[in-house]
Amino acid sequence: MHGALFVAKTGLSAQDTQLKVISNNLANVSTVGFKKDRAVFEDLLYQVQRQPGADSSEGTQLPTGLQLGNGVRVVGTQKLFQTGEMQVSEEPFDVAINGRGFFQVTMPSGELGYTRNGQFHVNADNELVTTEGYLVEPAITLPAEVQTFTVGVDGTVTAVVAGSATPVQLAQLEIADFVNPAGLQAIGQNLFIETAASGAPQIAVPGEAGTGILRQGMLEGSNVNSVEELVNMITTQRAYEINSKVISTADEMLSYVSQQL
Amino acid sequence: MDKVVFIAMSGARENMLAQQAHANNLANVSTTGFKTDLAQARSMQVFGEGLPTRVYAMTERPATDTTTGTFIQTGRTLDVAIDGGGWLAVIGADGKEAYTRSGELQLNAANQLVTGSGLPVMGNGGIPIAIPAAEKVDIGSDGTITIRPLGEAAAELAVVDRIKLVKLDEQSIYKGVDGLMHVDDGLPQPPDLALKLRSGYLESSNVNAVNELTSIISLSRQFEMNIKMMKTAEDNSTAAAKILQLS
Repeated sequence: MHGALFVAKTGLSAQDTQLKVISNNLANVSTVGFKKDRAVFEDLLYQVQRQPGADSSEGTQLPTGLQLGNGVRVVGTQKLFQTGEMQVSEEPFDVAINGRGFFQVTMPSGELGYTRNGQFHVNADNELVTTEGYLVEPAITLPAEVQTFTVGVDGTVTAVVAGSATPVQLAQLEIADFVNPAGLQAIGQNLFIETAASGAPQIAVPGEAGTGILRQGMLEGSNVNSVEELVNMITTQRAYEINSKVISTADEMLSYVSQQL
Repeated sequence: MDKVVFIAMSGARENMLAQQAHANNLANVSTTGFKTDLAQARSMQVFGEGLPTRVYAMTERPATDTTTGTFIQTGRTLDVAIDGGGWLAVIGADGKEAYTRSGELQLNAANQLVTGSGLPVMGNGGIPIAIPAAEKVDIGSDGTITIRPLGEAAAELAVVDRIKLVKLDEQSIYKGVDGLMHVDDGLPQPPDLALKLRSGYLESSNVNAVNELTSIISLSRQFEMNIKMMKTAEDNSTAAAKILQLS
């Protein structure tokens, strides 16, 4: 059949994937701590139809050959870890990381997950948990009658309880850093898990070893730029249309053959 | 019977090949750093007895259009676009040096600087670039990679390597079957220290969608004309057969 049909088909499916990536980014435009994805395109192998440089006679060579490309594919998606905009929420249980690093969360499976979403809550047992109810690691249990809850820039968690003027130090928050954060696997719920590509987590006290400091009462917004995504969406749509135009042209050519001959 | 039908067929067949080349360009309209493949037709004479009329068509790829695509700002430090006519030296799947302008660089688990499709980027020293664990990686306009090692103060910056940028002779480069550019003799090229790159930008595909689509439409019409010729040849031959029919 017509080679152009299959080539244009690869174009359509790549643009389809691209649109899915863009729409997922846009859907998460207000997800706290969300990191956007980008589809990476690559041209497929070329087939040598006529070898360039082959001898056309003894002593003469074909100056050019014919190598036909086979289209395009999405070679992968890249997570982009640029920092999102910091939003002031004034909520004592909201903590943002200014710098690299992730909060550690104990997932129901017992494994550790990593997140940049610092929207914490207190559960019925007075433990500090994420919005999903997963325990923050290291586990922090608040005393019963907390009046103020403070997270220092270096991760020290202190609280003032009713009837006492001196604050008590409850725990020390730690953050995990990765050599290659882009290699982390996103598993949804704003969580990432460690992979061979990301390397093992390096646990540090905030502010040490370049891991960034904590900011209480702030949240890191999604790093999706909706204008950028919409522009990408328009170019994706146009690229899709052009490729479908190739398919219809190739189809018309083939139908012309079968009708005329 | 006149063999005009074979001439027409060669035209139609080569039109289809050219169309695939243009379709491939259009499929890569959003591939970073992609370079348009040109397709042209050439006449291939096969003269035999009698009138020298047998000229078949042949589609070929004379070259790749290496004009620069549009720069797109991404703001990501590891995205690089090359100013002017230089190329990024990478190590192709065959282990040899190859060249690309697709600058979606990233770090892999082995701390190597690789392209979006995972090919190691070459340093000026002729070995792939490895970047130790760093808090921040910056790529200067001449390709120098500066890092702030993990846990070090802002004053403790370290220069790791310099990305190998080369200037290639347009006459001696060709696009290989892996989609990367190669030089005719296959020898590693010396780095050109005058070349500049921009971090935070990507070079878009240089495919001109309107051009390609127009070529596709015009090729499609040419194809129809060739089919029409085949039809005419068939009609002629039917007519001839009719005249000679007995009874």
